[in-house]
Amino acid sequence: MSVQYGSILTSQTQAGPFAGLATRLFGGNLRRADWIAFALLAPTLIFFSIGVLYPLFETIRVSFLDWTGLSQPKPAGFSNYTKLLSDANFWNALRVTLTWTLACTGISVAIGWSVALISGLAPKQTAPFRVAIFAAYGISETASGLMWLGILQPDFGLLNGILRLVGLEGWASPWLGEPSTAIWGVVAAYVWTQAGLPLLTCYAAIQAIPKSQLEAAHMDGASHFQILRYIMAPLSLPGVRIAIFINLLNSLKAFDMIHILTSGGPIRATETVGYFMYQESVIYFKQGYGAASTVVLLLAVIVCSIPLILDKASESK
Amino acid sequence: MITQTPKWPVYVLGSVALVWIIPLVGIIAMSIRPEGEITSGWWTIEPFTFTLDAWREVWVNYPIGRAFLNSLAVASFATVLPVLFAPAAAYAFHYLKFPFRRILLLILVNAFVVPNQVVIIPLFKLWRETGLIDTYWSVVIPFVGLSFAWAVLLVKNFLSNFPRSLIDAAQVDGCGHLRTYFFIVLPNTITAMAAVGILQFMWTWNSLLLPMLFLRENATLPVMLSTISGAYEPNWDQRAVATIITSILPLVIFLFFQKYFSADGKNNSGSKG
Repeated sequence: MSVQYGSILTSQTQAGPFAGLATRLFGGNLRRADWIAFALLAPTLIFFSIGVLYPLFETIRVSFLDWTGLSQPKPAGFSNYTKLLSDANFWNALRVTLTWTLACTGISVAIGWSVALISGLAPKQTAPFRVAIFAAYGISETASGLMWLGILQPDFGLLNGILRLVGLEGWASPWLGEPSTAIWGVVAAYVWTQAGLPLLTCYAAIQAIPKSQLEAAHMDGASHFQILRYIMAPLSLPGVRIAIFINLLNSLKAFDMIHILTSGGPIRATETVGYFMYQESVIYFKQGYGAASTVVLLLAVIVCSIPLILDKASESK
Repeated sequence: MITQTPKWPVYVLGSVALVWIIPLVGIIAMSIRPEGEITSGWWTIEPFTFTLDAWREVWVNYPIGRAFLNSLAVASFATVLPVLFAPAAAYAFHYLKFPFRRILLLILVNAFVVPNQVVIIPLFKLWRETGLIDTYWSVVIPFVGLSFAWAVLLVKNFLSNFPRSLIDAAQVDGCGHLRTYFFIVLPNTITAMAAVGILQFMWTWNSLLLPMLFLRENATLPVMLSTISGAYEPNWDQRAVATIITSILPLVIFLFFQKYFSADGKNNSGSKG
């Protein structure tokens, strides 16, 4: 389509004000239409270059420097990266990231998908419940974290309150202060904010199933469970797939919730790579080292999004 | 639809939804009870004292009005700019042919992989050198830059369903590309841009990391919220009030537009509608 379109434009060939420069850059092929294209793109490219490209390349550059705030930066080759590999705290951060990402993504998608499937059986009656779960996606992680302190706080949080009430006093615990449970407390609060997204994408996929197909199954004597298991579940898989990607990327990049609830503690039990980076570069001011860990985070995100990137490469023709 | 609707989904989902409602009830209860009652459990029923002291004190003790305006300014700028620029870029990518088109588009739409953590240190140094630190631009520029990855893609996808005959008609009638863009395409992308705008406003209003580092003098609501707790008392009641004030605007916008995101009970693919 666009090829055919380009032929209309060639008739408008006219030299722009920087024709000399353009000729050198593009071999004399820059037409008037190209100038219009770049004029339309200019604001986007300016913001994108300053806000994304420059910091991206700068982070990669700094990751190859020996630079700890006060000292003069020195070229350091891969030494920041080899230092990461021998840093027990970084390995801990990788382990925490793996648990955190899998748990947050798995639980959010499981909840969102199940709620979408079950509400597909009674869409009208369950609408307010969907809205309640989806609405949490609109609340900031900072605010959600503080709301969850009302549940997880050791002295007057609801969770310990219920445990004491039903006589399970011994189970009460400072959930966020205990290294073994802290990450699950943060996961719970994070899932609370994120489950609305898989609910949305899966429910949209279920709504797109032709009603006649569900009715036909019902006429043939399929039970609600069979309709759910053999029609809705497989046909909502595209929604599940999108949700897995978005939740995976969001939880890899997560910062706000961890910062507000535990700040990576206790004893680094909730320190993901995304938070490790902050500790090293912002708190300890080890710029080169922090940048190297940021590049590792970036690589992790890129690896997880390879299927999406391939999708877009084939789309953007 | 299925001839009889079963009852059990209502009970199952009702109890799941409780988990989403209880933290909200908790924060409201904390904001209207004296701190003494909160520290013995916000869920306790007896004694229940209703008080708006915390709502008053939070205005006195914290610059919450100022933070609200900062959040509003940051989120508005960071929303208006992509809404203005993304359709222009999407138009160029979709209808025009120019050098480096495909590689530019690939870089732009795949920038969604860039986490906020990547931009903070280089931009912090850049803002300090250029004096932009503590100005709205210091957060608006990265917010706008990062938004194009999905904003441009969304509008471009919208344009692929846009009737080309309209564009062709405009061209035949003598509209150049700029006029075609401004008078034919731009008015029609309003639906797509509304979605971009709502999500972008919500995300930028809610974000903590960038404003926390770049706007130390002009704290936004989440930044202020993360610092509320006195030296000797945790100020649970005031913190609850600030939490509500921080959440109310995105929540209202979100609830108002939620039907727009979740196609509710409608679909066009079925034979019976």
